[in-house]
Amino acid sequence: MTTEETILTKISEPVFNHANGRLLMPEERYWPSRKWKSPWSLPAYRSGAALLAGILSGAVLAAWLIGEIPLRLAPLYSLAEQYALSYGVPLFLFHLAWTVIKAALLLAVPLVNALFAVWWERKVSAHIQSRLGPMYVGRFQGCLQTVADGLKLFLKEDIVPDCADKLVHLLAPVVVVIPAILVFAPVPFGRELIYADLDIGTVYVFAVGGVSVMGIIMAGWASGNKFSLLGGLRSAAQLVSYELPRTFAVIPIIMLAGTLNISAIAGLQAGYWGGILPRWFIFYPVVGQVAFIVFLIASVAETNRVPFDIPEAESELVAGFNTEYSGMKFALFFLSEFAYVLLSCLLMAAFFFGGGEPPLPFLGFLPSWAWFLAKTLTLMFCFLWFRWTFPRFRVDRLMDFNWKFLLPVSLLNIAAAGLLIWLIS
Amino acid sequence: MTEQIIFYLLAAVITLAALGVVLLPTLMHSALCLGLCLAGVAGIFASLGSDFIFAAQILVYVGGIAVLILFVVLLAGSASGRITRQINAQWLPALLLCGLFGWAFLKIVAHFSFGLAPQSAPEPTVRALAGLMLGDYAVPFELISIVLLASMTGAVLFGRRKAE
Repeated sequence: MTTEETILTKISEPVFNHANGRLLMPEERYWPSRKWKSPWSLPAYRSGAALLAGILSGAVLAAWLIGEIPLRLAPLYSLAEQYALSYGVPLFLFHLAWTVIKAALLLAVPLVNALFAVWWERKVSAHIQSRLGPMYVGRFQGCLQTVADGLKLFLKEDIVPDCADKLVHLLAPVVVVIPAILVFAPVPFGRELIYADLDIGTVYVFAVGGVSVMGIIMAGWASGNKFSLLGGLRSAAQLVSYELPRTFAVIPIIMLAGTLNISAIAGLQAGYWGGILPRWFIFYPVVGQVAFIVFLIASVAETNRVPFDIPEAESELVAGFNTEYSGMKFALFFLSEFAYVLLSCLLMAAFFFGGGEPPLPFLGFLPSWAWFLAKTLTLMFCFLWFRWTFPRFRVDRLMDFNWKFLLPVSLLNIAAAGLLIWLIS
Repeated sequence: MTEQIIFYLLAAVITLAALGVVLLPTLMHSALCLGLCLAGVAGIFASLGSDFIFAAQILVYVGGIAVLILFVVLLAGSASGRITRQINAQWLPALLLCGLFGWAFLKIVAHFSFGLAPQSAPEPTVRALAGLMLGDYAVPFELISIVLLASMTGAVLFGRRKAE
């Protein structure tokens, strides 16, 4: 027996693997894998790095080939319009159909995001903890695991507790998930890639996003269970509190940009200082960085993720407000949580990282949506990373941190932004 | 035509929700109906094309005040689930008084005849609003903010004294 083999755990008996329903063959009886002499060997790392490089370069090539999506869709739109007109379809009907198609595409954003983000979160958490995470479903790195989970949730029995308020219990996930979908309307995904270019986009996003709190309170109260009630209470207190610094962190950006339109704010950050440093709002001295950090912290708190996951702290509250939910109702809560993570990342990419603008001038060959997506996914990785790195806050410290630190800092930052604008002009 | 359908739908939602606030036996249901009612009013603002008022209504009333009321109801604990009567013996005079007020409002509206706001594509109103608030009406605006600040400080002060 060589030293490499002692590192691997040898499974003594042929094991029935429940994941794919077959016996593990003798040559597969090594875990993690016998492909490499050791799981920590240099060739294994090289192969992993090569895989990542391959995926990245493939994505870059695909983005370059696709180009700007509005440019690709414009001929399609005019073609469809001509086709409709030649068949005598009324124009308003055609516009209605087009709006429905656009709305369906927008609806797909949170759904696809949840499918991807849940799998990604499990992989990230596994690798942070030296595990492998999902490996079987979908052959490649368990990439269809979330689909399987979704099917499982579909097939689960929908349990409503006896002492629950039936109607409110039923409506709570609906009230949570509808704002989580509506909120994407004024958010850009690239240059001119936007569902509704609202002039008040920023206010709209914060307003509609805040409605989900009602659903969480409803879920906590209607479950008729003390853990759920406590979870709902904590969640309401936390969300209402962190909403303030989160909104105040964006005010300096609005002051510097002079508009509330999210795509206009993203578009204003085009260009470079000295031909090198992009004119992103995060590079404005002090004001930009402070605003970004406050917004990031408050966003993590708003999405109830780990350092701030007091509302669903497993060790204290079972699972907080979603204790009594099963099947698709639970899935809706999960979906809206990841939708809000995506929304926060999209907003940060638009407000602080120049939206679809490339970070260096010579990288402009990639379309704007690719840059937007890359920035969003990088920020999303930070969200996943935090979750598996930081310990949970205590309830009182959570509130102290918000009211005694974040809020004053964000208020001072507004004053600093005023000073900066005065100095510039 | 479409505007009228939307208006009547929203009006039905608002009226039913408002009735729910005063008639439903459970405190929590009343609070939720209040949230729905305020959201319906936001819908009316949106259909009249005033985008900023719509967002402010959602932000302040639905996301702020309704949530705070729900929060208080949750803090009330078991009282929030208790079934109470919302109507006492004086319901008939109250209803008559409400009817009188409703009739008076109708008369006033008919007398001044505002008419419906002109229907057009909603235009951005933020700049105009900001110009009015911080330009022509700067003093009343600042006065209101001082009043709000004073009431907030007072609330904090009273809350503190009680705790000691």
